[in-house]
Amino acid sequence: MALIYMNMTLAFTVSLLGLLMYRSHLMSSLLCLEGMMLSLFVTMAITILNSHLILASMIPIIMLVFAACEAALGLSLLVMVSNTYGVDHVQNLNLLQC
Amino acid sequence: MNPFALIIIMLTVVLGTLIVMTSSHWLMVWIGFEMNMLAIIPILMKKYNPRSMEACTKYFLTQATASMLLMLAITINLVHSGQWSTMKPLDPTASIVMTLAMAMKLGLAPFHFWVPEVAQGIQLSSGLILLTWQKLAPMSILYQISPTINSTLILTLSILSVAVGGWGGLNQTQLRKIMAYSSIAHMGWMTAAMMFSPMMALLNLVIYIILTTTTLMMFMMNSTTTTLSLSHTWNKTPLLTTAILATLLSLGGLPPLSGFLPKWMIIQELTKNDNIILPTFMVITALLNLFFYMRLTYSTSLTTFPSTNNMKLKWQLNPTKTTIYLPPLIILSTLILPLSPMLILLE
Repeated sequence: MALIYMNMTLAFTVSLLGLLMYRSHLMSSLLCLEGMMLSLFVTMAITILNSHLILASMIPIIMLVFAACEAALGLSLLVMVSNTYGVDHVQNLNLLQC
Repeated sequence: MNPFALIIIMLTVVLGTLIVMTSSHWLMVWIGFEMNMLAIIPILMKKYNPRSMEACTKYFLTQATASMLLMLAITINLVHSGQWSTMKPLDPTASIVMTLAMAMKLGLAPFHFWVPEVAQGIQLSSGLILLTWQKLAPMSILYQISPTINSTLILTLSILSVAVGGWGGLNQTQLRKIMAYSSIAHMGWMTAAMMFSPMMALLNLVIYIILTTTTLMMFMMNSTTTTLSLSHTWNKTPLLTTAILATLLSLGGLPPLSGFLPKWMIIQELTKNDNIILPTFMVITALLNLFFYMRLTYSTSLTTFPSTNNMKLKWQLNPTKTTIYLPPLIILSTLILPLSPMLILLE
């Protein structure tokens, strides 16, 4: 297996851990979501270029489009949280606990 | 909400799920999940208050992570097999990652922490869509990849889910949280069936959707969200107390009601494959589920709870809620068991 796959898997894993283990800011988890998407974009683009799947060349771009929509939604939710509490600390999201 | 916007958003939710269920290209599956998630966030936030905003944020974070894990599984599958077809068997690593992604989307333990909180923060009608329609797309993906699912992983998810669904619901008085833990336990039963017979998992899904729709519609009819306000049903609509009794007992899986049919079929499939300990454990934890349903029926139907007014019955004014779907759903959720020989058609 080429070294690039291990590299991108490591990048994805680091971003996933960053998403799951953030300290206080919601923004950092949104950034890690984009990091995950970026590593998948590179992996997919390199695989498609390497195997000469010419028709599949648009797939990374489509994935980019949908991930951007998702990031926009995440940012709008962050803005709503920030409107209510002033900061985007996740400790503030504790109204619904059992 | 503006009715035109609501129609378009609901259509997008439906379209997203249909795209997931009917695609043969893995990218379209991912796109369907994204459309579904993007469109359901406004529905979860029909009434804007800090609780619904928090519920939407938690829902968005977990579902976005699960979508990214799904994309990782698709990419791993692409690297190892070079093709995007959903009909071909998955690479084992991709299968493990995809099962984890679907577990996060369904709310299986140990990824279940968002389900009670999100169910609590939203309206009852949004909770209905969250607990029923949103389960269709991930279950259809699990059904499609069921030949290649790692059995250890799905066994772990199933055992943890039935245990968490049983014990977690014991200390709840909020009805939406009770329905969330009920959903976790039923998903555990479905994934246990997925190992041996995916058809029985689909049967469980269909009957679970009918039962949950009935229960939540009965709650919506009285606009109750706590056990206390549910216990005043005898004062408002006495007929509903019988229906709530029958439906909650069916949800707990008691014969001769419909909810017994999927449990019976799943136990039969598991024991046909010489698996005795797992169904025993699952049935015992289903007793925990039955306990908190029985607690609800005790306060609602079996006793006349003390209420605030002194009359035997409140004023019977003209009803304003549409309850046209409720009678057929109640019939479906209690009387389907005699139709079980028709399951021979599934062979």
